[in-house]
Amino acid sequence: MLKTILAGAALALALTSVADAQTLDKIKQRGSIVVGVKNDYKPWGFLDPSGKIVGMEIDLAQDVANRLNAKLELIPVVAANRMEFLQQGRIDLIIATLGDTAQRRTVIGMIEPNYYAGGTNVLAPKSAGLKDWKQLKDRKVCAIQGAYYNRRVTQLYGPELVSFTGIPEVLNALQQGNCIAFVFDNTLIDSTLSSGDPKWANYEMPLVTEDEQPWAIAVPLPELNGPYGEFMKKVSIDWHKTGKIVELEKKWGIKPSPFVAEMHQKHKAM
Amino acid sequence: MRPPAGTTDLPVLLSPTAVLRQHDAGMGDPCRLLGPRTALFLVVAFSMAVAGAEAATAPAAPGVIASLWKWAPLIFQGFLFNLLVSVLAMAIGTAAGAILGLMQISLLPPVRRGSWVATQFFRNAPWLVLLFYCMLLLPFEVRLFGLVIPLPAWIKSVIGLSLPVMANVSEIVRGGVQSIPVGQWESAEALAFTRRQTLWMIILPQCVKRMTPPWMNLYAILTMATPLISIVGVQDGMTLTRAALSAENRTELLVPMYLMLLSWFFIYCYPIARWTIRLEQRFAVKG
Amino acid sequence: MEAIADWFKWLNAAHGINLTIFYDDFDRARFLRGLLTTLWLSVVCIALSVVIGVVGAWVQGSRFRLLRRLVQGYIQFFRNTPPLIQLYFFYFAVGGLLPRVTDAHGALVPPVSNYAWAIISFSFFAGAFNVEIFRAGIEAVPRTTVEAAEALGYSRLKAYIHVVLPLAFRVSLPALNNNLVNLVKTTTLAYAIGVSEMLYAASQIWSEVLNVREMMNVLLIVYVLVVGALVWLMGRWERAMRMPGYGV
Repeated sequence: MLKTILAGAALALALTSVADAQTLDKIKQRGSIVVGVKNDYKPWGFLDPSGKIVGMEIDLAQDVANRLNAKLELIPVVAANRMEFLQQGRIDLIIATLGDTAQRRTVIGMIEPNYYAGGTNVLAPKSAGLKDWKQLKDRKVCAIQGAYYNRRVTQLYGPELVSFTGIPEVLNALQQGNCIAFVFDNTLIDSTLSSGDPKWANYEMPLVTEDEQPWAIAVPLPELNGPYGEFMKKVSIDWHKTGKIVELEKKWGIKPSPFVAEMHQKHKAM
Repeated sequence: MRPPAGTTDLPVLLSPTAVLRQHDAGMGDPCRLLGPRTALFLVVAFSMAVAGAEAATAPAAPGVIASLWKWAPLIFQGFLFNLLVSVLAMAIGTAAGAILGLMQISLLPPVRRGSWVATQFFRNAPWLVLLFYCMLLLPFEVRLFGLVIPLPAWIKSVIGLSLPVMANVSEIVRGGVQSIPVGQWESAEALAFTRRQTLWMIILPQCVKRMTPPWMNLYAILTMATPLISIVGVQDGMTLTRAALSAENRTELLVPMYLMLLSWFFIYCYPIARWTIRLEQRFAVKG
Repeated sequence: MEAIADWFKWLNAAHGINLTIFYDDFDRARFLRGLLTTLWLSVVCIALSVVIGVVGAWVQGSRFRLLRRLVQGYIQFFRNTPPLIQLYFFYFAVGGLLPRVTDAHGALVPPVSNYAWAIISFSFFAGAFNVEIFRAGIEAVPRTTVEAAEALGYSRLKAYIHVVLPLAFRVSLPALNNNLVNLVKTTTLAYAIGVSEMLYAASQIWSEVLNVREMMNVLLIVYVLVVGALVWLMGRWERAMRMPGYGV
């Protein structure tokens, strides 16, 4: 058995390292760019009834594809698998509400300037009466598998995290009272609360937003400083300069983020 | 064919065939069935759930049936994809499992032992863990002799599901061959058949019948395991159901939507189960 | 302990094989808790599913047609639908219909937690198979054996307990073992509803520490060992209970 396992593991090891280093060439060659996006993260990326993925990040992905003169191919990812997909080369680019952390920078190439930013907060029913992060201790708190703040929140405040792979499950669990709060990006909570959906009328974002993290689009690490990475950096600068993101926020009804406004001002002046 | 194993002067137990069949099948014996009544029961339960949900719907919102109807085509496509995955995984698993199973009855001890260990390993590993393993650790493309073979996620999920199928088929083959009395091997030898001839011309033709019901049972189990691919990020019927539920964001749709998907699986798997039983009864050795 | 932790730290630094579960207290505690949860889930579900099997088999022998039908309906529903969707159906759909209760913190919560739903769902799933397995075992005991016992002065109940059940149980054992091993493997599905069993713990770790390959291998090996130990124990038990002159 050991032989089989070892052989299998060795094979897996050997095969995973074949990822191509020249993504730009690959994109040109096949005439399309494959972007990993969310499909359960309204309004950043979500499904419409025809099964198509739409949303603000999909518009951004389309913009990248247009600039490259390539067709856009979308692959839905979740927090728990997006980085592996990029490393393996299954996707060329991540635009999937990816928080830019030091640990992640050791495995994938984060494009600067960051295109968005969010902090950590919770979505909770008003009846829970949350005022302070410390109140979460030993309570059931819903979360998303693989979100960067899960560990920090657990270690600091000691909630019993119940995490799911998809956001629909979490929102369901929250609405049914399976957990008292949902620890998440404040941006999404904002847009959920401000959507005017009566479902969320009795919910609030009661805590002080913590741990502000910029979001980044990401390319394979070896190419961060190569032509592909440089190209994406220019794209990101251009988004801020032209106010593309501000515009998309409006289009998708997202509450204007101070980070985006600030970046827009800064790059416009440049 | 089989000497009735339990025959003694004092028969303590009835024919053991029924029991042996279960052992081979691996997941118990789907005994007598109720016929279409169970299906009818499901339909009634489903309509009741829809009616209940309809009653709970806010007057302004579109009806539950309308919402189900809107999403059904999309989810059904996903369900068909589940079936496609199950067929492919079964084909790959059966081919690999047949080889592994024959290796298990090899006369060479290293081959026998190695294949036994591989079989046990993949039989004991949970399906979901194997699926995760293939999903996260297989590369997105393989290069063989300068040929680039892409491995999209769904292919990886097929491979991940075919591994446990392979191990189970291997056991079915081994069990099938070993269920043939040794006397047959000996008589074939006496008639100057070689081992290979005995296996292909005498033993295996008898086994195929015996192996069919557990093999079909395995297929049903595999089909019911296909929604696992939704956990590892392949878009199937389950993913699309969840996406539809999240797009609608209406609690009263939960029960009918999941029931809809459950009943599709039921409608597909139930006839297979019935057919398996019929075959089992037909092939049963009168003991 | 220190030395082991240091060695694994070195392994990470020197070879990039990052097994945090051996040197990071937080990750180790999580993983061990996951392992315990898996074992605990398995034991509870096995016990419950066997009870369901025995009761179900008994009801199937009852005189009431409606009761038998109900059990049949239950068996067919659980046998022919995917366990993952069953779990979702229970946790999200059925769980949402139940009335809320007040918990220790004064919040309104559903009466059944995700752990409980996992246990209920898996027990019923495996229980559906167990009913059939026990039923077949009981049917394998011929009437004449029961009559013989009665002729020897056993009452009906006594004959059932001392003659029918022991025989039926031995006949059922191989199929039962197979089903229970499957049940243990099925507990991984609880991952999907946030029950912190071993797969869940491992995935938490690998998505934070980004050591997928290492954790995946650890996970696979631990599962194969746990299930392998169970198979081995059951096999021994099966042999010990084997009836001479009967079976393969």
